[in-house]
Amino acid sequence: MVSTLEDRVRPPAAAGGPLSTQEFFINMGPQHPSTHGVLRLVLKLDGETVREVIPVLGYIHRGIEKIGEHQTYRQFVHLSDRLDYLSALMNNWAVSLTVEKAAKIELNDRIQVIRTIMAELQRIQSHQLWWGVLGMDLGAFTPFLYGFRDREVLTDVFEETMGARLTMNYIQPGGLMQDIHPNFVERVKSFLKYFKPKLAEYEELLGGNVILQERLRKVGRLEAKTAVSMGATGPVLRASGVAHDLRKKEPYGVYSKVAFDVPVGTMGDCWDRYWVRIEEMRQSMRIVEQLIDNIPAGKHLLVKPAIVIKVPQGLYYGQVETARGILGIFVVADGTGYPYRIHLRTPNFNNLWSITAIAPGLRVADLVAILSSLDIVVPDIDR
Amino acid sequence: MGLITEKLPLYLDPVPGSSWFLGKLDEVINWSRANSLWPLTFGTSCCAIEVMMAAGASRHDVARFGAEVARPSPRQADLLVVAGTIVKRMAPRLRTLYEQMAEPRYVIATGSCVISGGPFIYHSYSTLRGLDGVVPVDVYVPGCPPRPEAYFYGILTLQKLIKEGETVRRPGERRKPVLAALPAGMTVDQIQEEMRSLLVTEKNSGDRRNG
Repeated sequence: MVSTLEDRVRPPAAAGGPLSTQEFFINMGPQHPSTHGVLRLVLKLDGETVREVIPVLGYIHRGIEKIGEHQTYRQFVHLSDRLDYLSALMNNWAVSLTVEKAAKIELNDRIQVIRTIMAELQRIQSHQLWWGVLGMDLGAFTPFLYGFRDREVLTDVFEETMGARLTMNYIQPGGLMQDIHPNFVERVKSFLKYFKPKLAEYEELLGGNVILQERLRKVGRLEAKTAVSMGATGPVLRASGVAHDLRKKEPYGVYSKVAFDVPVGTMGDCWDRYWVRIEEMRQSMRIVEQLIDNIPAGKHLLVKPAIVIKVPQGLYYGQVETARGILGIFVVADGTGYPYRIHLRTPNFNNLWSITAIAPGLRVADLVAILSSLDIVVPDIDR
Repeated sequence: MGLITEKLPLYLDPVPGSSWFLGKLDEVINWSRANSLWPLTFGTSCCAIEVMMAAGASRHDVARFGAEVARPSPRQADLLVVAGTIVKRMAPRLRTLYEQMAEPRYVIATGSCVISGGPFIYHSYSTLRGLDGVVPVDVYVPGCPPRPEAYFYGILTLQKLIKEGETVRRPGERRKPVLAALPAGMTVDQIQEEMRSLLVTEKNSGDRRNG
């Protein structure tokens, strides 16, 4: 049944009686500090208890899919940065992967290894920010400062090679924008050495905190069945106990050649989502450690920069595992240098919708913890 | 505060030597306004990470410029930092937030999106081409996204504006001192004309494959 917003906002018929409570509606957002942007949630409340959550979208809908139809495949890469800006490199990779698959561009080992290293470093960077913001949302400002302290170290590494701090625009169809900086290997190694004890500190500082555990444990349980039916992916799905990771299931890059584990939760509550992400940082460091010492020699770009890449007519789909889940790019090509239609299957859209299944019955304060543990990025939802 | 800024000049004007006193009063009031800016936490997209979060965090530390007390409520804030794209659906909400803020209020527009539309200037049906149609902007900080250092330069510029801008004699009336000069032989009209001609050619280009 399709229900509109007006249907749901109608007051319940069975009100009245001496001890009855009244249900009411309240807007959370679009200007709210813990919705991580301009997300609007219409909450149906009974006192402090949440009865229903209705996400309302569109406050940052920029029409990226439509703009994509007017740009060459290379030009579309820079728009993919602005989708989920915290995993910009992985978004670039998703576009490049799809176009390379369609245009049949073979890549050398050097490009694949560098891409994998960059993607894993970005995953660490994204989770560092999430960790800091989770602390801030739950009332502790210190994790925010600690998370950003370590994030800046990694940002410097990226900036040296790519010249940008946030929207890198680095991975492009046919290779990479620039070769890695001569200092890159050295600095990544020193970062790994620096960050390993810091990750233990993270767990001591925030993970071992009783207040945090009380607010996260057994809050917002997402059953595996619901998670799959909602289309949730990434750490949200894995915390519910489904070990679905594209890096294992359909390996791209050089993920098939490296050893790493996929952390899986048991209950699917906020604490599992917290733990899965912390463990993912450790696994990402493990992947980078295996690759950083032997980056093969070769060219970093196999297609001439001035050439418009032409894709043969057909339907193409490519997907990667970003820091938040599966980003799929669906391209309808008509044989020219421009896509006929681009559709983006963004991870946050589905992850957000799982909140409609989790939240009923919980308190408003739990909603903040849930939103934080889902780790949503709103421009990725709205495109 | 309202008593000082609104009533005092009326009483003092006939008194000899009052202009010197009011001038000093201006300096004190503007100095304190400039050094205690309370920004509203308003981030819509990518710029929020750099301008609101990284700038406020450990390395860059916006507290050095007295602008670290980010308030989620517009009623407690006096600086609106618009960080990120504003689309047509968000524009009325932004206007509401701006109107809820108490005077004197200041606006910094960070990032290409709120200056001109940025990466979404062509072919987007929903992005606003520039924020200045919705709220008056005091300082623009370009970049996509701007570095935290660029944001600091914007804050310092705004502080300069506040210190020289307003007097207690004419509250609400803001003078804008010249902070940056255009290149020689170039006028604002020429720049606007150039931008307009670009937009016109885009509109007339017709088929996307020709453009």
